[in-house]
Amino acid sequence: MIQVGDRAPDFTLADHLGRQVSLAQFRGKQHVMLLFYPLDFTPT
Amino acid sequence: MHCHANWAAGMGGISFPLLADFHPKGAVASSYGLYLAEKGITDRATVIIDADGVVRHASSVTPAGSRDIAALAGLCEEVARAHGGALPAVPAPVGVTGATLFVKNGCGFSRTALLARTNLHLEQSVQVKNISEDPAALTEVTKLTGKEQVPALALGESVQLESAEIVKTLVSRVTGW
Repeated sequence: MIQVGDRAPDFTLADHLGRQVSLAQFRGKQHVMLLFYPLDFTPT
Repeated sequence: MHCHANWAAGMGGISFPLLADFHPKGAVASSYGLYLAEKGITDRATVIIDADGVVRHASSVTPAGSRDIAALAGLCEEVARAHGGALPAVPAPVGVTGATLFVKNGCGFSRTALLARTNLHLEQSVQVKNISEDPAALTEVTKLTGKEQVPALALGESVQLESAEIVKTLVSRVTGW
């Protein structure tokens, strides 16, 4: 697992509306929380 | 992605991007060391990244586990306190001041639009008028749209009539995306 203090790998993925979302677009603007899920329709 | 789009619409719109890590499968999770290759799934994990791109929190509750949302909210506040000081101001979203949402009883599309208003925390800024209960609202929406169609979102000079479009507009006004 990635460690605290590591540089977060950038990525670009499609969201639920088909828009391309990159981690880089939040740089200098906002903190980001990534919530990884094993499967859809599973608990928090 | 269609599954995600349907789920998001069923929720009445969501104010965060729901991403598909699928082509190639789990590639982003792998780059974060969170892809469980032997099971072919991603770990149920949470990573907080500050605005400089540095990881400030990383944890897993295992795929069978369940996250403690209140604890995560606390972590967000902690990161904001510890690493939020030097951040440039985020431009304020355009907002939805002065908007009116026309709905009627027993209408699934009205329900979707109302859910979006709730999920996006717009109860204060988007007024609701129910044409099933308020004859003046029926007159007003007929005048605005030329027909008795709801849901309708009146926002400044524009009027939107499709629930999907209404949800999209509200999300975009709130998030700035």
